[in-house]
Parts: sequence; C-alpha cells; structure tokens
Amino acid sequence: MAEQTLSRPAAARMRASPSRLGAAMRRNGAGYLFLAPWLLGFFLLTLGPALASLYLSFTDFDLLTTPEFIGAQNYVRMVTQDPKFAASMKVTLLYVLLSVPLKLAFALAVAMLLNRGMQGLPVYRAIFYLPSLLGTSVAIAVLWRQLFASDGLVNSLLAQIGIEGPSWISNPNYSLYTLVVLSVWQFGSPMIIFLAGLRQIPTDMYEAASLDGASPTRQFLRITLPLLSPVVFFNLVIQTIEAFKAFTPAFIISGGSGGPINSTLFYTLYLYQEAFGYFRMGYASALAWVLVIIIAIFTAISFLSTKYWVHHDD
Amino acid sequence: MTTPLMGRRRFIGAGMLAAGLPLLIGRAALAQQSAIRMIWWGGDERARRTEAAVALFREKHPEISIQTESMGWDDYWARLATQVAGGNAPDFIQMDYRYMFEYARRGALLPLNQFLGNELKIADFGEANLASCSMDGKLYGGNVGVNAYTLLLDGAAWDEAGVEMPAYGMTWDGFAEKCAAFTEANQRPRVFATADGSCQEALFEAWLRAQGKALYTPEGTLGFNAEDAGRWFAYWAEMRDAGYCVPADVQALYKFSPETSPIVQRRSATDFGHSNQFVAFQMLVDAELSLTSTPVLPDGQPPQYFKPSQMFSISSKAKDPAATARLINFLIAEPEGAKLLGLDRGVPASAAIRDVIASDLDEPGRKVVRFISDMTPQIGMLPPSPPQGAGEVNDTIIRISQEVGFKAVTPEQGGANLVDEATSILGRA
Repeated sequence: MAEQTLSRPAAARMRASPSRLGAAMRRNGAGYLFLAPWLLGFFLLTLGPALASLYLSFTDFDLLTTPEFIGAQNYVRMVTQDPKFAASMKVTLLYVLLSVPLKLAFALAVAMLLNRGMQGLPVYRAIFYLPSLLGTSVAIAVLWRQLFASDGLVNSLLAQIGIEGPSWISNPNYSLYTLVVLSVWQFGSPMIIFLAGLRQIPTDMYEAASLDGASPTRQFLRITLPLLSPVVFFNLVIQTIEAFKAFTPAFIISGGSGGPINSTLFYTLYLYQEAFGYFRMGYASALAWVLVIIIAIFTAISFLSTKYWVHHDD
Repeated sequence: MTTPLMGRRRFIGAGMLAAGLPLLIGRAALAQQSAIRMIWWGGDERARRTEAAVALFREKHPEISIQTESMGWDDYWARLATQVAGGNAPDFIQMDYRYMFEYARRGALLPLNQFLGNELKIADFGEANLASCSMDGKLYGGNVGVNAYTLLLDGAAWDEAGVEMPAYGMTWDGFAEKCAAFTEANQRPRVFATADGSCQEALFEAWLRAQGKALYTPEGTLGFNAEDAGRWFAYWAEMRDAGYCVPADVQALYKFSPETSPIVQRRSATDFGHSNQFVAFQMLVDAELSLTSTPVLPDGQPPQYFKPSQMFSISSKAKDPAATARLINFLIAEPEGAKLLGLDRGVPASAAIRDVIASDLDEPGRKVVRFISDMTPQIGMLPPSPPQGAGEVNDTIIRISQEVGFKAVTPEQGGANLVDEATSILGRA
C-alpha cells in the first residue's frame, strides 16, 4: 500500500533494490500461497514433464537405460523412413475431417430441435448429453464392438431387410467409419453450448424476418448461422483438438493394435505403441511434439479464418 | 498486519509438517521387516490362486510382508516399464520369455545363481529348463510352467462332420485335407473347419522348424527368407479361398485372447493356442475341447519345443532378494504353494510337483498334463533367444497376415514385405 504514495524516482529505487522481491511477497504472498496447489501441479505435473519430453524427443531412450542424445534423428526418421507415421497421420486427419463437421452439424440440429421450447426440455437435454459422459469410457467402446461385430445388432437389423452386413469393426474398409459414428454420437457437449448460443439470439429478429416473408432456410442462413458463428467457432476449435487426441475408442476396439491393417491406427495410438509397446520413449516424445505442433497449426488456421466467417456484433 | 501474517505462516508450517508426517512414519514402519512387492499379469482365476498361495506363505513367514498387484497383459508391460524406469521396480516380477531378454539385457533383473541350492531348490527342473530361463549363462527366472503350442479342437463338431480329428503326426497337407472333408460335410451354419493360423507367430515358427528353419538365428537375424514367408501366407490364402478357414474379417476380431478367438465365438472347429491357455479356452465354451500337437512335415524336424510359459524374476533393485527368492521357491518348487497355483501358468517343470498336483486336477487339467508328457519325447531343441525387436516383428506378422487376408497384397508380396520390414526392425533395435 505504502509504495503507491512514493514518488517516481523512489519507486524506481525500490525496483532496483533487492528488498523488492520481499516487498512483493509481503504484498501478494497470501495470494500465491492460495495459488500454490495449482502452481505446483502446473509446474511439476504439466510443464516439467512437457519440457522433459521435449528434451527426450532428441534422445534415444528405452526407459530402462539412460537417455542418449541423438540430435534431430527422431524427427528426421519420422519424415524420411517411417511409413507408420504417415499411415497414422492419414488415419487421424481423415478422422478429424470427417468426425468434427458431422458431429457439429448433428449437435446443431439437435440443439435447434430442443430450442423449440418443448415440454420437459431439461430431461431431453440430459438424455442427449448422456452419451458424451459415457463416450470416452471403456464400456462404450466395448458396446460399440458388440454393435458392429459380424453378428452384432447392426447386422441383425440389416438381416431383417435381407442384407448381410460385413463385420464393420474388423473390416479395414469400414472400421474407421464406425469410430466416426461413435464420435458423432457423442454430440452432447457441443449441443449444450449450441443450445445456450441459440438462446442468445433475439426472437424478434425471426419475427421480423417472417413478416418480410423469409423462408425458414433463409432465416437459418441469414440469422441463426451468423449470430451463432462465435459459438460454432468455439466448438470447432475444441472439437478439433479433441479429435486429434482421440485414443480410447481405437485402443479398445482394435485391442491396442490399430488394426485391421492399421486402419484405426490413430496417431495417439501409434505414439502409445512406440512408447509402451516397443519402449522407444525418445521417438514417442518426438511424435508427441509433432502432434502438439500440428494441433497448434490447425488452431491457428481456425483463428486466422475467423475474420472471414465469424460474425461479431460490436 | 504482521500478527495474522505470522499466524498464517505458522499455520502453513504446521500444515507442511503434518503432510510430511505419514511419509516419515511409513518409511520407518516399512524398514522394520522385509517387504516384497509382487506384480503379475493375468485374469481373476490367476489372481485368486496366487493370492491364496501368497496368504499361505505369509502364514509361514510372518516376518515377510507381501504387497500384490495384478493387471491385464497390455497394461502390465507399460506399468512395469514405468516403474522400473522410475526406480520403483517391484521386487517380484512375473516375466515373459521374450521380455526376459529385454529386461535382463538392460540390467533390470537379478541373476538368481547365488540362490540356487539355498533359497531356490529347482535343480530337478532339469538342465534344458534352467537354460531356457537363462541369458549368457546366468539364470534370470524360476520357471512357473512349460508350454507347447497346440491345436485346440472341438471334438463334437469334427464328429458331427464325420471326420477324424487332427492328431499327432498329421502333416500340413493332411491338415488341409481334413479341413476340406470337414467343409464338405459340415452342417453347422457359419462354422468353419479352422481359424486362420497365418497371424500366429508360434504356428509359423512350428512350420518353419519342421523345415529345419527358425524365426531367428543365434546371431539375432531372421531365420527364414521371403520365399518361406510367401509360402506360409499362400498356404493360408488357399485355405481361406476354399472356405476351410474363417474369412479375414472374422479372424480380425481375434485380439489374441481366448474370449475373442474364433473357436470360442463358435466360428471354427479348430483354433490355436499355448497349452497353458487350454483350461481358459475350455471354461469359455460348452463343447468339450481337446488339444494336440501342431502339424508336422514328412521326414521333417520336430516342430515343437517346450517354452517357459512364464517365470518369476527378481528385480536387480530388490530390497530383500533372498526373501523374494524364498517366495519364488514356495510358489514353484514347494508342493503346498505349487498346488495352489495349479496349472494356471503352465505345467510345472518338476516331475515331483507334477505328481503332487495331479490328484487335484479336473479333466481339462489332466488333458494338458497328458499332452505335455506325451510330447516330451517328440520335443526339439530350444530356439535361440529372440532378439530385441522381436515383439515388433510379431506385430508385423499379424498386420501382413491381414493384408494378405483382405487381399491388399498377394501372399508372395506379403512374404517379401515381411522380410523387408522385419530386417529393418531388427537392424534398428
């Protein structure tokens, strides 16, 4: 408190003096103390290991012996002589490009349906949100296996109309798409956010548009989408990051192999195999950092593109 | 201003002390007696048996405390590797034949030779058995059971088709003929004569060994060439195209566990597995199963060998290795302990122990013991130890078998790819 009354030169002297830190601690110590649990967690459990993995990505490390510094060899190997890196990247990109737009479209459609002011809305909202709570769990991945197995529920239904379906999850032509469907089914959290966004759009806009004879499609394109675009943007960024990080469903459904024929070899699954299957921690760390960079690039592109499509009211 | 601040400081100080206290006490309490941390992989049945045996050991040695932990195969190796890397290795480690070399090579396991004849009385396991658990002349594990690779057969399905079941001495061509006859007469919808064996590394190995080849040479390079691998994939491609073995998308559901195998899923009358898994397979199906040796070649070499199914090893950082060795001995070489473990980890190497547990066995268990005893005269040499990277080569065999199965590549191309990729994996490791 006292510092505020000091003249400028005096304050400068304070800044230079060694007791400045002590003074700052006296002022903010309690605040930092309360922050300590989070700060400790962040530095020790997040930042520390992350930096360690950055170092490890330049080493050959098999977990049991000391890491050996090998420069950028891991990164060079990735781009020059690792077909599995390319394969897993392709699978992951395909998954992101398919599942994110489909999931957002589905979430928006359900949110608009729920926004009609129906009876018992909270109940429906909870029911539709449920899959998202369960979605990343092992149990659902197991259930998915049962649904899409050769004698699973999906094929029993198809058999009713005389179609003999393939074994969806174990056929390399379809296996990835069953995982996309699983992801779309977990539309709950973007749906809730869309619903909140829809609530923010003033109803008089629609009333005015109706009076002017605008069709529902036109109203959707000219009113709903532009006013909802900041929410779409938010959901897009979050869901893209989530999709890049997808792991559990592929791990469970393929039994950790990413098979058949690497058709569900998600990038994170490949990373896991390298790290814990083959004990190549250095290489796996390098893979992890490449994923960080790729996610950062995608996020940056999303942000840069906002000026073309995200509508700001102000 | 100052007084409450001081109070806060004192409060924090007291808090820190309180938080640290259990750590101090914990250390002190642990130091008082010898403590063993024990870890294994396996299902409920194995956990039940092992816990019972450990409880009995505790009763006899109250001065030794034992902490147990078990999990599935996939989680196990990730967990063990992290614990070992973190300097927190369990003292008592259940080891697999392949991983033993990976861990021993890196100095993570304690050589057990110093305990032989004292804590560890396993001389009657025999030279060959001790050699199979050794690297560079040092023993790294006490063998819990021996294994051989087997054909698993659904007798009723074969009977119904009117075809005599595959038996010891049948050739690979003979096996294909039997499958043809089965397919001809088969009445069961969606059931095939056999599972697709092309993804089974151990079956491939048996096929190679019959021809005098091997998966790996003693120098750690590949023991087969592209043409051999191509012929292997071609054999199974013919079986698949003729409808003798299950189609590729059915085989791809198999995740190397009895639960997901075609025979348990009622899709095949024949399947493949290690003899110690036989009881687990039998528990999953109503039909009565039997087991027999893999096919042979006319005038060929013996395809089979006894593989240590699992072993119990001691961490090189173990706090009380002697007590750990005593626990190992109790489980594998003393009748009371071995009896409780049963056949779950394989047939005990010691004939004396085998006799002791024979009386307790149910019918499936007796079949396994009989099979191992019958196989003993037919058994071949132990192959050289698998080189580093062998696990990844196995994954490559599985993937390429699927590529051939789904017709993404021809069998010949698959064989060439396998040799290329495996060579590069072994060169990298």
